[in-house]
Amino acid sequence: MAEAGQNFADSSTLKSAALMDMMKGHLTTDEGKRLKEKVGLVYQINVAPKKIGFQEEMFVVDLKNLKVYKGPCDGKPDATFSFVDGDFLSVASGKLNPQMAFIRGKMKIKGSMGAAQKFTPDIFPKPAKL
Amino acid sequence: MAMRDLVMGGGACVVPGGDGASSSSNPLGGLADSLLGGASKTQERIRELPGLAGPGQSADLGGRPLTYLPGSEFENEFDQRASAQNSQFLQRFGSKFSDAWGDAVNGHMMPPVAHHDREQEAAFRNFEALYPGMDSAGRPPLALDAPPQRVLSGFFQSFLDSSRMDGPFNAVRLPELGLSEADKRRIRDRSSIMGRHFFADKGDEYVNARVNALLQSLDIDNNLKFREPMGGRHPEMEGYWNEVIGARPGGRPLPDQWAEDFHQHHRIPEPGGWAQEFEAQHNGESWGDQFGEHQQQMAARGQFRNGEMNNMAALEQTRSLVNTLAQNQDPKFQNSKFLQFVSKMSRGELIVEDNQVKPGVTNDWANEFQQQHLPPGDQWASEFMGEHQHRGDRWGDEFARRHQEAPSTSDDWVNDFSRLHVQDWADEYAEQVAKNPYGDGSHESWLDSYDKFVGEQMTDLPNRTASSKFVYVFADQNPYVGHPNPLKEGQELFRRGLLSEAVLALEAELLKNPENSEGWRLLGITHAENDDDKQAIASMVRARDADPTNLEVLLALGVGHTNELEQAEALRYLGGWLQNHPQYSKFVQQDVNSLSHSQVTQMVNEAALVAPGDGDVHTVLGVLYNLSREYDRAIQSFQRALELKPRDYSLWNKLGATQANSARSADAIYAYQQALDLKPNYVRAWSNMGIGYANQGRYEESIRYYVRALGMNPKADNVWDYLKISLSSCAARWDMMEACERRELEPLQKEYPL
Repeated sequence: MAEAGQNFADSSTLKSAALMDMMKGHLTTDEGKRLKEKVGLVYQINVAPKKIGFQEEMFVVDLKNLKVYKGPCDGKPDATFSFVDGDFLSVASGKLNPQMAFIRGKMKIKGSMGAAQKFTPDIFPKPAKL
Repeated sequence: MAMRDLVMGGGACVVPGGDGASSSSNPLGGLADSLLGGASKTQERIRELPGLAGPGQSADLGGRPLTYLPGSEFENEFDQRASAQNSQFLQRFGSKFSDAWGDAVNGHMMPPVAHHDREQEAAFRNFEALYPGMDSAGRPPLALDAPPQRVLSGFFQSFLDSSRMDGPFNAVRLPELGLSEADKRRIRDRSSIMGRHFFADKGDEYVNARVNALLQSLDIDNNLKFREPMGGRHPEMEGYWNEVIGARPGGRPLPDQWAEDFHQHHRIPEPGGWAQEFEAQHNGESWGDQFGEHQQQMAARGQFRNGEMNNMAALEQTRSLVNTLAQNQDPKFQNSKFLQFVSKMSRGELIVEDNQVKPGVTNDWANEFQQQHLPPGDQWASEFMGEHQHRGDRWGDEFARRHQEAPSTSDDWVNDFSRLHVQDWADEYAEQVAKNPYGDGSHESWLDSYDKFVGEQMTDLPNRTASSKFVYVFADQNPYVGHPNPLKEGQELFRRGLLSEAVLALEAELLKNPENSEGWRLLGITHAENDDDKQAIASMVRARDADPTNLEVLLALGVGHTNELEQAEALRYLGGWLQNHPQYSKFVQQDVNSLSHSQVTQMVNEAALVAPGDGDVHTVLGVLYNLSREYDRAIQSFQRALELKPRDYSLWNKLGATQANSARSADAIYAYQQALDLKPNYVRAWSNMGIGYANQGRYEESIRYYVRALGMNPKADNVWDYLKISLSSCAARWDMMEACERRELEPLQKEYPL
């Protein structure tokens, strides 16, 4: 289990960093194995605090090796996405569907479209509420 | 039953007629009142019915020997109190209308959304029906004069009583009540939610049987469609657009449309009040500035017409296209004029053919505007002022004054506008976009803003700016307004676990006493338990404003922001908790706002050493460790707190949520179950349970729990979102997806019972 000092969120003000921390734990469960079978791709996710392309932080969600780490990606990711912090959370929590996010310019995609289509909100853990 | 008694306490077994009954019969009167929106009209009709002698002889109704209607003895008192509160109530309406006015002003960018108006109409009718004596100098309306109302309130009372005593409730033949379709729908929606709260420990079937008996008696078809606010958003919107475009053959909006809107909305009795309300609503930000902004937008609109679009119809068309396409996810959207337009704007390719917008050009919006306001050359502001002076309203004055103060705009803005050069305009536009509260300075954000704007119009969530992100949104129709003691009622409802009802009662209290910190605090807790974090935080912010040192409020805000993953805010409130604690404040030596997470944690740990028997310290520690994702420690802290307070259901939920977030969903489900055993109506625990199963990939189970949670609070937006994910990950049930999209719960409840 992640302890203090190893969290993305310790050195970041992004809410997405907190979700990525949660993602690390999520991938260690059986659900992680299922994601490896079902998706099995490497995504790089660039998250900006306010404007896409500015002061971005890179996260790599590797569903092939079930790892989450700070980018850039070792090797070439199957697809790279760029978001603003809040929009990434909206997509991950199902508030905004990825197609809509793309159409509205809230999500930029680089890489294979096939890989991008497997990028769905059920990949990410839903935070439970205290 | 036993479990329910534990949770609901004495309330579940109070004998009707005692004190407990009186506190719960009043809201029923209120419920009946509000449900019977058209009471004054139906009264007339009922008097004409054969077999009904008239007012005062309601004992004969329907041939049943109803010599005494439970609840009716309180009605007189209720009505009198209600009329005493008329003026306050009115003020609230004022605020509503000024909102609408704001919308109308916004409407020159985007025409006002219809359902808003319709809702207001309904609210207004309802209001008139509730207070028929209002316009005749505050004469209290006669309770005896409203037989259907009394029948209904008595009937609801007996429904409630039967639920308390756990006895059978059979369908009864009631006299014709003349309920409208909308009334019926409201009765059905509210009674099914209430039913689910009452019988949270019973199965769905039991609840349905009860509610059906109630509905059958009232001759309400259980298959009425949900088209009220909780219904789907987009279909309504599309319908409205079709309506608007169909209604105007040319599709061209009249330039003075918003002025008409203004007139329409201006039928408020107290014009002075709403101006203040409006100012208050906008956080003291002067509305004059806002108007200036809108004015610029108006200018921008004029330019749009001369540039890319020939008239506003095209803009409207594209907007409706956006809506339609947004729904269909049709790739064609990318080729729409609207997107082209916006992308051209963003690339600076927008060409305005004429460098000047000259008055006299056909289709010239500015010119039209001038003509509308003859004599030409007259100042628009003074013109407008003149129009409204006889209403004794300060708006015109204010406007004129602000307008002169504003350095960037000259008095005669119409002329100014016609002289405006494209370059100026482009600069202004860029500037405005840069100032855009939710934009990021790029032209593309215009589209985002638009999306957001439409979203707000539809959902009524005012998250326009960061500062107003946590503005509390009151329910539109509240039967508890006018209740003699809504706070006590709210506390009672909360204790009995009727969360959605408690929210309404507490809102009524806070409309009456906006500075009641205890009311706001309890409302915040109720929203949190009802799984509505946005409203929970908004309430707690108000509670904090009223009482900045309340420990429970500070802790609740810390928890709320933790849930929203807002680390810095959460830390600030948890530090504030320590600083304001009478025993532990000595551990805080610095400015609490500058403390790091580890510093706060260390101080709270010191406090825990001093007072190991204080469960709250361990709770705060648990939340702090959640923030830093030290889940093992967080779990330990919550377990320690639970040893001290084993019956605190919210602690069980916190423990469960921590376990779930640290990928121990199986443990979490046990903890949630404990919470639900202690409080069966704990909506948050139900939805967390769903999340727990979803995170384990057990989507079918998760659906059942989400549906259960939504049955108790259909307004929990995040649960609808999660439900959609689970549905799409489960079987390909497109019919169920559609129901979820339209927010229709019934088919889902039938398909996925728990």
